[in-house]
Amino acid sequence: MDRIDMNRLKSGEVNLGTSIMAVQFDKGVVIGADSRTTTGSYIVRIVSRMFSMAIVANIYISQANRVTDKLTHVHDRIYCCRSGSAADTQAVADIVHYYLQLYTQSHGSSPPVSVAAGVFQDICYENKDGLSAGIIVAGWDKEAGPSVYNIPLGGGLFRQPWAIGGSGSTYVYGYCDATYQDGWGRDETVNFVKNTLSLAMSRDGSSGGVIRMCVITEDGVERLFVPGDQLPKFWEGREVLSAPVKKSLALAPMAIE
Amino acid sequence: MSSPGFNFSNAVRNNFLQEKGIPLPKATSTGTTIVGCLFKDGIILGADTRATEGEIIADKNCEKIHYITESIRCCGAGTAADTEFTTASISSNMELHALSTGRAPRVVTAMTMLKQYLFQYQGHVGAALVLGGVDSTGPHLFTIHPHGSTDKLPYVTMGSGSLAAMAVFESSWKPNMERGEALALVSAAISAGIFNDLGSGSNVDACVITATQTEMLRNFVKPNERVEKERRYTFRRGTTAWKTENIRSLIVSEDITPVSAGGDAMDIS
Amino acid sequence: MPDMTSLAHPQQRAFNPYTENGGTILAIAGADFSVIAGDTRQSEGYSIQTRYAPKVFRLTDRAVLAVNGFAADGNMFVKKVKQRLEWYRHAHAKDMPLRAIARLIQTMLYARRFFPYYVYNILGGIEEDGTGAVYSFDPVGSYEREACRAAGAAQSLVQPFLDNQIYFKNQVPAPGTSHPAHLPLPTVLSIVIDSFTSATERHIEVGDGLEIYIVLAKGRTLHGTESIGGMQELTTTDDGERVFVVRRDLKKD
Repeated sequence: MDRIDMNRLKSGEVNLGTSIMAVQFDKGVVIGADSRTTTGSYIVRIVSRMFSMAIVANIYISQANRVTDKLTHVHDRIYCCRSGSAADTQAVADIVHYYLQLYTQSHGSSPPVSVAAGVFQDICYENKDGLSAGIIVAGWDKEAGPSVYNIPLGGGLFRQPWAIGGSGSTYVYGYCDATYQDGWGRDETVNFVKNTLSLAMSRDGSSGGVIRMCVITEDGVERLFVPGDQLPKFWEGREVLSAPVKKSLALAPMAIE
Repeated sequence: MSSPGFNFSNAVRNNFLQEKGIPLPKATSTGTTIVGCLFKDGIILGADTRATEGEIIADKNCEKIHYITESIRCCGAGTAADTEFTTASISSNMELHALSTGRAPRVVTAMTMLKQYLFQYQGHVGAALVLGGVDSTGPHLFTIHPHGSTDKLPYVTMGSGSLAAMAVFESSWKPNMERGEALALVSAAISAGIFNDLGSGSNVDACVITATQTEMLRNFVKPNERVEKERRYTFRRGTTAWKTENIRSLIVSEDITPVSAGGDAMDIS
Repeated sequence: MPDMTSLAHPQQRAFNPYTENGGTILAIAGADFSVIAGDTRQSEGYSIQTRYAPKVFRLTDRAVLAVNGFAADGNMFVKKVKQRLEWYRHAHAKDMPLRAIARLIQTMLYARRFFPYYVYNILGGIEEDGTGAVYSFDPVGSYEREACRAAGAAQSLVQPFLDNQIYFKNQVPAPGTSHPAHLPLPTVLSIVIDSFTSATERHIEVGDGLEIYIVLAKGRTLHGTESIGGMQELTTTDDGERVFVVRRDLKKD
């Protein structure tokens, strides 16, 4: 059997380059995402009129939407964070949303997060050769309280206290491991998500824009928004060529909040 | 018996020909700048009017703003045939949907139909769309990409001129514009595409959709009128050479001879 | 997202030093004049790099060179031809004759047979015998003298038009008459202008501006071209051949 190419995106497909995240805390979950979506149009032109030798391929990547909402509602207390192909993840989220509505009607009660995550996994696993979707499902239910499920590219399903995903996540695994602690409250968790995403967005060219977050608790869903010019700031480098460096410059380790 | 949907019976043969180095015929593509913009009373859609086949201009004044319903319209970029067929088919389904529900159809309904149709074909139906309209829930504006992903925004652009047009929107768009101001902004955005993107050209089409009426402003601005030629290129009768001459009479003459003198009258009893 | 697949499979890549920058050039020879023209748009893909990049250059008072294809190669090639012509002037105290320039260009192009200048050249001017001449070249130096030639992006649109209007291809003359061997200058200028306005209408890479160079044989005047406005003389010597340029706008979409 041929190797399954997990990373492929069809040419010109809209890509959620993405930094996404979900973290559990005592009373609920905080989910967050950047807002950048890009599209790469692959333009191939044959240059040669006389020699049939030269082919030029220009890859242009442009922004399709700079204020995208990657936090997608699938039920009253269940959301998902989408990464990968915009078309694939929207289609999967729409199907799950439909399924959970049916579930609510036939059971007469809201589905637990585990069920929603299970439906996502089913679709992602069974169609792994056709989909490029990395999804984090998070929410609150009365059986388990808050929970976070990670469904990476091949269609696996893992319950985790915190999960990060998308191209930007690779830059911040270390930060998360070093920073996360059990037993946080709402505000500490929101700050953790905000800082992590800001760090990921500053390193990953495919992530950026604003930070959108949702706090999902038994009481409801609260949406938070951080504009692009108010992101938490960390070390951003210093001017090397101009401004002579003072000998006694006080260089301190990065402040970790 | 034919099955519904596309006919793939030539796919194997065409793939074989492509491997042998015979390329597929070029589809007419709408190189295109298309835009949409929210304003105080509704939505304005805009489009250029150039259609290209590679580097050759196939149509200098084509229509890229398609009818979906009276108060929902859709601009198409990409493969011309795909945008025309896709919007026509969704327009038809929207009419049937309106008839069966007895309600005025909504923009989200058209958006969902379009994204599900395009997702089904995994990007092989090359239609990139800007969908806009006003319904009972207010004004709505979407972009729909060929693979079936959608975005909802107050101002959108698509096609090869999308960056030129978006530059105009990003510098000048503001909420709650008046009709005239918004129309001028849409024209400026399309003009940016027409003059800076080689895939776009000719005229500006616009469509103003409000809760009460839809106004299609075909060739709203014509900044690229054809210049007059220096010479006239009519040819003298007899310019074209011929090898043989053969004149045939196309008049068929028939002699009709009545069979019986009196004739039988038709029985109409 | 870093592409992990590239690590798994060997992939062949090569740097391509060439680009196609669009635009079109043409030249027509008359009995005692020559007209060389080109549009001024320079593009790459769907983007315009500049609306004014000359493709036609005066070499001497009797030779004008039009270059089309890869702009960087074109500019460098013209620069080198001009340098060789200057050296010739210093050595011989006169301008190089047109047919010699044509042979020089062939040699310079063929010298780069295996890393060619990616350009199509059309050389127009006046021969030593006072006749109008056009030489056309392929990128590696094959050339011939012709009465008219179009090259570049819209060659396939313009050349058939010139064949019909200059060579009277597919036109039977009226009984008892024959087609003229050479057209008068005003007619040629009209045909050149119409070629470019038409190419602009149907080809996306042609437009913005038009530059027409006119080279007149010794003693010939511009007589009959009064209707063409904005003509500018570029001649540097007295009582020799004369060079003029006309600049026109083309559609910018």
